[in-house]
Amino acid sequence: MAEWNAYYRNDGDDEEEQEEGEQSGGSYKITGRDSLVFLVDASKEMFIKGEDGQPSNFDMTMQVVRSVYSSKIISSHRDLVALVFYGTEESKNPRNSFKHVYVYHDLDEPGAKRVQEVDALRGDEGAKLAAKTMGSGETSLGDALWCCANLYSDIKLRLSHKRLMIFTCRDEPHIGDSTKDRQARTKANDLKETGVIIDLMHLMKPGGFDVAPFFRDIVSPPEDESELGLQLEPCNKLDDLQKRVRAKELRKRTMARLNLCLGEGINVAVGMYATAVTAKKPVPIRLYRETNEPVRSKTRTFHTQTGSLLLPSEIKKSQTYGKKQIVMEKDEVDSIKKFEDPGLHLIGFKPMERLKLHHHIRPAVFLYPEEDEMKGSSCLVSALLTKCSERNVFALCRCVSRRNCAPRFVALVPQNEQVDEAKTQITPPGFNVIFLPFADDMRTLDPPQCPTASDTQVDKMKEIVSKLRFKYRSGAFENPVIQQHYRNLEALALDMMAPEDIEDLIMPKVDQIDRRLGPLSDEFKDMVYPPGYNPDGKPAAKRKTAENGGGAEKKPKIEVGVDELKAHMQNGTIGKLTVPVLKEACKQLGIRTTGTKKQELIDALTAQLGS
Amino acid sequence: MAGSRSALVLCMDVGLSMSNNAPGEESAYEQAKKVMQKFVQRQVFAETKDELALVLFGTDSTNNRLDQDGQYQNITVHRHLMIPDFELLEEIENQIQPENSQADWLDALVVCMDLIKTETKDKKYDRFIIALLTDLSTQASSEHLDVIIENLKQTDITLQFFLPFPAEEDEDENGGRDADRRGPGHPGTGKGLTSEQRDGLDMVKHVMLTLDEDEGLGEIYTFRNAIEQLRMFKRIEKRPTAWPCQLTIGSCLSIRIIGYKAVTDEKMKKMWVTVDAQSNQREDVKRETVYCLDDDNETEVQMDDTIQGFRYGSDIVPFSKVDQDQMKYRHDGKCFAVLGFTKQSLVQRHHFMGNQVMKIFPAKDDEHAAVALSSLIRALDELEMVAIVRYAYNKVSNPQVGAAFPCVKQNYECLMYVQLPFMEDLRLFTFPSLENNKKFTPSESQLSAVDSLIDSMMLVEEEEDGEKKDLFKVHQIPNPAFQRHFQCLHHRALNPDTPLPAMEPWLKAALERPEVISERCKAPLGDVKKQFPLTEVEKKKQLKTSAQIFGKDSEEPDAKKAKGDEEEGEYNLADIAEGSVTSVGSVDPARDFRTLIKQKTLPFGEACQQLTHRIEQLLSNKNTHYYMKSITCIQAFREQSIKLENADLYNSYLQSLKRSIPNRGLGVFWDLLVQDGVTLISKDEVEGCKVSKSEANQFLVSEEKKEEAAAPPPAEDTGDFDDLLDMM
Repeated sequence: MAEWNAYYRNDGDDEEEQEEGEQSGGSYKITGRDSLVFLVDASKEMFIKGEDGQPSNFDMTMQVVRSVYSSKIISSHRDLVALVFYGTEESKNPRNSFKHVYVYHDLDEPGAKRVQEVDALRGDEGAKLAAKTMGSGETSLGDALWCCANLYSDIKLRLSHKRLMIFTCRDEPHIGDSTKDRQARTKANDLKETGVIIDLMHLMKPGGFDVAPFFRDIVSPPEDESELGLQLEPCNKLDDLQKRVRAKELRKRTMARLNLCLGEGINVAVGMYATAVTAKKPVPIRLYRETNEPVRSKTRTFHTQTGSLLLPSEIKKSQTYGKKQIVMEKDEVDSIKKFEDPGLHLIGFKPMERLKLHHHIRPAVFLYPEEDEMKGSSCLVSALLTKCSERNVFALCRCVSRRNCAPRFVALVPQNEQVDEAKTQITPPGFNVIFLPFADDMRTLDPPQCPTASDTQVDKMKEIVSKLRFKYRSGAFENPVIQQHYRNLEALALDMMAPEDIEDLIMPKVDQIDRRLGPLSDEFKDMVYPPGYNPDGKPAAKRKTAENGGGAEKKPKIEVGVDELKAHMQNGTIGKLTVPVLKEACKQLGIRTTGTKKQELIDALTAQLGS
Repeated sequence: MAGSRSALVLCMDVGLSMSNNAPGEESAYEQAKKVMQKFVQRQVFAETKDELALVLFGTDSTNNRLDQDGQYQNITVHRHLMIPDFELLEEIENQIQPENSQADWLDALVVCMDLIKTETKDKKYDRFIIALLTDLSTQASSEHLDVIIENLKQTDITLQFFLPFPAEEDEDENGGRDADRRGPGHPGTGKGLTSEQRDGLDMVKHVMLTLDEDEGLGEIYTFRNAIEQLRMFKRIEKRPTAWPCQLTIGSCLSIRIIGYKAVTDEKMKKMWVTVDAQSNQREDVKRETVYCLDDDNETEVQMDDTIQGFRYGSDIVPFSKVDQDQMKYRHDGKCFAVLGFTKQSLVQRHHFMGNQVMKIFPAKDDEHAAVALSSLIRALDELEMVAIVRYAYNKVSNPQVGAAFPCVKQNYECLMYVQLPFMEDLRLFTFPSLENNKKFTPSESQLSAVDSLIDSMMLVEEEEDGEKKDLFKVHQIPNPAFQRHFQCLHHRALNPDTPLPAMEPWLKAALERPEVISERCKAPLGDVKKQFPLTEVEKKKQLKTSAQIFGKDSEEPDAKKAKGDEEEGEYNLADIAEGSVTSVGSVDPARDFRTLIKQKTLPFGEACQQLTHRIEQLLSNKNTHYYMKSITCIQAFREQSIKLENADLYNSYLQSLKRSIPNRGLGVFWDLLVQDGVTLISKDEVEGCKVSKSEANQFLVSEEKKEEAAAPPPAEDTGDFDDLLDMM
């Protein structure tokens, strides 16, 4: 992680020592921010409670808004959100030029206060508060949309994505007033023209919500035509919106743009993208205790004796080996690390089976051609991709990913594009870049010489394995450490009594496993473990107590019944019994054996009992 | 295991015969010295606890404990047993030199044995080694040979010989034992051996075979091989730390296991320390971090007066370390618990996380655990499945989710554990399709060019005997970063005032494409070059902007990148967000107009026409909102006209607009325009303009008066509309 961080910074002029966490700031400059406006109907109809005490449409909407707010705060707090009500009695908007439009929150980064303010609108209390502050009145969706357009245009930041969601349960808001309808359509078109996507979140309406007459001209064309007709159920997107996501959203950005050199003069421009990076808890910010305002940190280097600040030229770097201090200039230290300019150099190709599973030293990155840097790159990469995957080979390259960085060898593994039924991309086309270990990264272990399992034992384990099969999906597990942290933060920010509980998804579901296995685990244990063997205990200690116990009490416990012996013979587990047990058994059965070896004892017993 | 060390005596012949050399070849003395140097260097940088002594024989003087009655002459104990350091390296470099005497190598061996015996007393070592570097030219007396061998056996000393010639002359022809022993004829062999050397060699063989019947001769090395092997700085030895735990499946089934890191991204052990340039003392330099408020004075605050907080949206929530610790996620500690089993194919190679692979073996000396684990390994292997497990190293470390792969090798079995991603770790990016884009689809001939390139560059080849040979084994190449680092350190330590050396040629070569491949792929590469035209896209200016460094990462592929316009200051970020502006829209005509002018998408005249059209539309609404919007449009019109030094269109529009005011009943609008002082463009602003400054000022004033004089009669507003547009 630490190493990749460097990519996000301006080429590391001694920025290594800088505190982490600055990285998120810079990148937004070029990507722009997402923005989302909730345009919520506040007419009387919205406050009608459903049958059996179902929450009102308004209440439900507030729940959705709250959940989006709190998700945004964690996933991408720099995105802008706004909450606007229309069809209100009161008016509140920037220049107060629109009647019956109430801008509850203008477009801004959401924070704790806003979440609490939305919370205040929930439930019965919330309905009362809404009635008091805003009331319900005339409706002009045109004005409301215009007001929203102003919210967008007042933002001086670059917006990358603009979305407006209309929450309503009235399919004919102007009840036949065609002038108002027309105005609304014009405004909606204006908005769409500036790149705003308008979504309709139609809510529960007795008799169904008919999108066709009015709203189909308002909203951006949906992907699915069926969304346009008469809708009996509330919009299914609501569920998605309500799902809380507590993960930082990250933009697609190149970590590095490099040339992939196939040979003299054949350079392809490629970009490297981090697609899997260990997420960490966010970095804390230092605050001044008195005022809770953030403080900045400054690091400086000074001379201990004179106290004067030291210039970079006045310091050197040193290491001590073999009792000798070795001193170098800072430049020299950097120059040692430099082998060549950043880039990828093709060494050759190898069959895929040469890429060993255990050749793993850091998460892979993704490589995609950069046509904008070098025309023709996409075509050559595409040809390489086709041929590599057809022939099941990977390309071996030497890779210097950034300045003053020693080379590593990487395997470029082809990945073909995959799409699902809806034609959405599941895997993008390109190469996965797998970093390969050097000799120094491979540790020499001497594997212990151990007995191996018999086929019957393996078969029993296979049963266990099949019982506990599931379909693994990358990213199906949430990180409990991060999830807990976010919930704690939420609890503190929103003055909650206690943080929400988390479900630790990577905790084995022991009860379920036990139930599914049933007697299998005992059967397996009987096959591999001798009686009295305790795999959970400390090895040495256990053995000692067993011996001591045996010695003191004249081995009373080691008797086995005839039935048990027979069972063992049938299962083929008789070999698990210890020599003293077998001897005792012989004695009891009156078998005279001259042998003392285990196999001799077993043979004698089998001869006696098996016949 | 910890603290184990070995004692090693380097015993080098510096006698007369060692200096002899065939023309063009290094003398045995020089070679032996190199072997020693490289070896000691490795020891120094590896920073092991191994101790080392240096005994020279064939010296003119004598200095050893056994020196009595003319016995054990010309043998010098140069350095007693201690941890090697740069002092020793310097001594080898500068003090040791060829001398003119001769000494019996068996005598020297005895001196070494005595040294080990006396100097390792009361200390614990787990290995004793004596390495003899000699050309065996001196007649050795074999009378005490048996006693010596017996003694070596008793004290469990490993003996190694480094000779200028191979012990078995025909070894090369037999293919050698391993790859490192190949290579051209060894120096010394060509000359043929002297009778002394032959006798000596027989004696060496006798000793070695008596000590170890099978492997004895494996401990005889030639100088040349040794140098090649030692050339690489010893990789940093790390003894794998055992991680004992229980593999659990549910609550009832557990298997005692032990894990070892098998592959890991190895980092340099030592960090650079900052020192004062003059004194080279680290104590003279102090680094300090201070905190200051973000005010004008940058008021410093004490560390103790700060607390930590976390961002929660636009707020920062104070969250002290104590609270954080108290509330954080806790777990039961060390664990390796199976969550379930899944198909190997569902675990994607490029989703491996972390920077290590752990191998899991059964607990030591527990054959039951071994059998149990073996059942699991084999079951998984045969079913092509993996175990998905929860892994926690200990109580304070964060738990992970990972996969345990079965690994069945000829001589052992184990599970291999790799970390897998959490939901939070994955970034699912989409990229434009390559296949379905006609522009990028390679032609048949292009594909076949790539095909033959792959053919010519295959690094794994099948040899005649069916064995597959890998020409480029990355995991056998030492990390060049370490090699280079130690090379430079070594150089600087011994030659403090000279610049750093160039990279060693062998290291450079080890990182390059193998010679055979380079030769073979020449033609196919040429073909690829011909088939695939590649042209670098010219960049106007290589600015060090964030945009350049981070790349254009916009999620919308069509969002236009900075449009090659670098004047960021003046550049309204909102402009770019628009995507492509092709005409003056109704929502923000002023902005669209500016963008169009800036991007020169439309000719100036046309853009102006579109803008005035919008202005007229807006004015037809008779609403303050629209009036304000119209004024911003007119302002934009004015500003751009001045910029482009083309005032005619603007001035004539404004004049005709003014004329139409009374008829259209736009008095209110005109007042607003007057308030904002939006007037004609004068000569002062745009050269060659016919309007003077005073005329421009007068333009608004006079209207005011006129208006006062005659109240505008309301009239139909459509009349002038078309006229106005015609003017453009």
